[in-house]
Amino acid sequence: MATFELYRRSTIGMCLTETLDQMVSSGVLSPELAIQVLIQFDKSMTEALENEVKSKVSIKGHLHTYRFCDNVWTFILQNAQIKSEEGQETVEYVKIVACDSKLLTQ
Amino acid sequence: MASTGTSNIYIHVIEDVINKVRDEFVTDGGPGDDVLAELQGIWELKMMHAGAILGPIDRSAKQKAAGGPVTPNPVHDLNVPYEGTEEYETPTADMLFPPTPLHTPMQTPLPGMIQTPLPGTAQTPLPGTAQTPLPGNDSSPYYSIPTGGTPITPNEYSSNNDNGGEGQMRTGGGRPSQYMQPPSSWLSQRPPLDVNVAYVEGREEGDKGAPNHPPTQDFFLMPSGKRKREDIPPQYHSGGYIPQQDGAGNVLPEVLKVGPGSIAQIPVQEGSLSCRIPQLDGPIPVPYDDARSTPNMYNYQGVINEDYNIVNTPMPNDMQAATPAPIPNEPVDDDDDEPLNEDDDDELDDLEQGEDVNTAHLVLAQFDKVTRTKSRWKCTLKDGIMRVNNKDILFNKATGEFDF
Repeated sequence: MATFELYRRSTIGMCLTETLDQMVSSGVLSPELAIQVLIQFDKSMTEALENEVKSKVSIKGHLHTYRFCDNVWTFILQNAQIKSEEGQETVEYVKIVACDSKLLTQ
Repeated sequence: MASTGTSNIYIHVIEDVINKVRDEFVTDGGPGDDVLAELQGIWELKMMHAGAILGPIDRSAKQKAAGGPVTPNPVHDLNVPYEGTEEYETPTADMLFPPTPLHTPMQTPLPGMIQTPLPGTAQTPLPGTAQTPLPGNDSSPYYSIPTGGTPITPNEYSSNNDNGGEGQMRTGGGRPSQYMQPPSSWLSQRPPLDVNVAYVEGREEGDKGAPNHPPTQDFFLMPSGKRKREDIPPQYHSGGYIPQQDGAGNVLPEVLKVGPGSIAQIPVQEGSLSCRIPQLDGPIPVPYDDARSTPNMYNYQGVINEDYNIVNTPMPNDMQAATPAPIPNEPVDDDDDEPLNEDDDDELDDLEQGEDVNTAHLVLAQFDKVTRTKSRWKCTLKDGIMRVNNKDILFNKATGEFDF
């Protein structure tokens, strides 16, 4: 089963990666095991987002850059407004990285 | 700070991951439960520091879940001898392969659970180095990706968290050797180069031993008469000066000042030092072009103004100049004939490189559809994590409308 490594760049993913880095560097953990943990994280995160999250957001802004490479879209927005159930956020600069959802179901 | 909802989801994810990898940790050869607990602890600590989860964490739900991580099909490690349960003394063929499936003690592993350490990997790799299976060699289902373009194969454990752009591609192969080979010995076999000897083309062999000549020379016995440019400097024995290889004859005038009554003719300028040794192959550059003494393929006599934006016919009296006449509209550049276009870069690109992690707003998601009409872009995203204004927001669906 394939996984998206996309979510490793999120806060939770980065915390996990740093923790694993630390433990591998100190020799407590083997790199293979660390990779398995990351793969499991990919799966768990994807699953949690599918099943446990129900909110919807909308994003509007000026598109500064767009890129499509290796089936991954990258957008860079300026002066974006992000509306969610929790409220509205305005950001001067935001990067959106999106993988193809169809790849997971192949 | 994350909201309670996202915090709970994160906690749930952490616990889910820990539970699912627990088997890997506690089996023979694994680091053990302590390490797993340490991993969880540090992970949660970092999350709290980042403000992604709210402490303290309610463990009551965790206790319930930990009490019975019973999977419907317990995994049996086939690499260890079969240890029968109390009910059975010795496994018999009937028990291992019973007629009825209900009594079989050997369960098939769940897809997605790893039973054994990955084949082909060493048990004790050095920290920081990865010995991971290459795609195609491994029978594990995780690593075999049919299409080459999918960004999914984790081939290399890398502490470099930068995913190299947005491609998510990990190139196959182990990490290349991080250690450079020591410089090969042939490098040290070159004949020792004495920089105090002026390199002169065509110098006789005998002169190469000249550095050992006694340093005290009679500096005042300069050959009289004006030197010509082409003159090769006198040999050491004749009591001349010791030329420095760097070409500048600055030492010369000072040395000559010392003695009274020296009749040496001091060359007038440094630039046209008559004892100057041409250092470069090719034509001797005119003094004006001294700054551009790097080998230039262009004929100095026929330099054409490469800036096609201005009308400039190469006049004979302009031939000497290698640079075009100063153009009022563009910055004068000594190094290049073409304008550098320094201001063409968008400032935003610099911002992208220098952005602080804390202020980088990022949305990670999957896209369902991306469309564009003229300059209006629309996309539908799903299952995403957003980090904006130091807050984490999760979403199931998102719509985007951007104007390019």
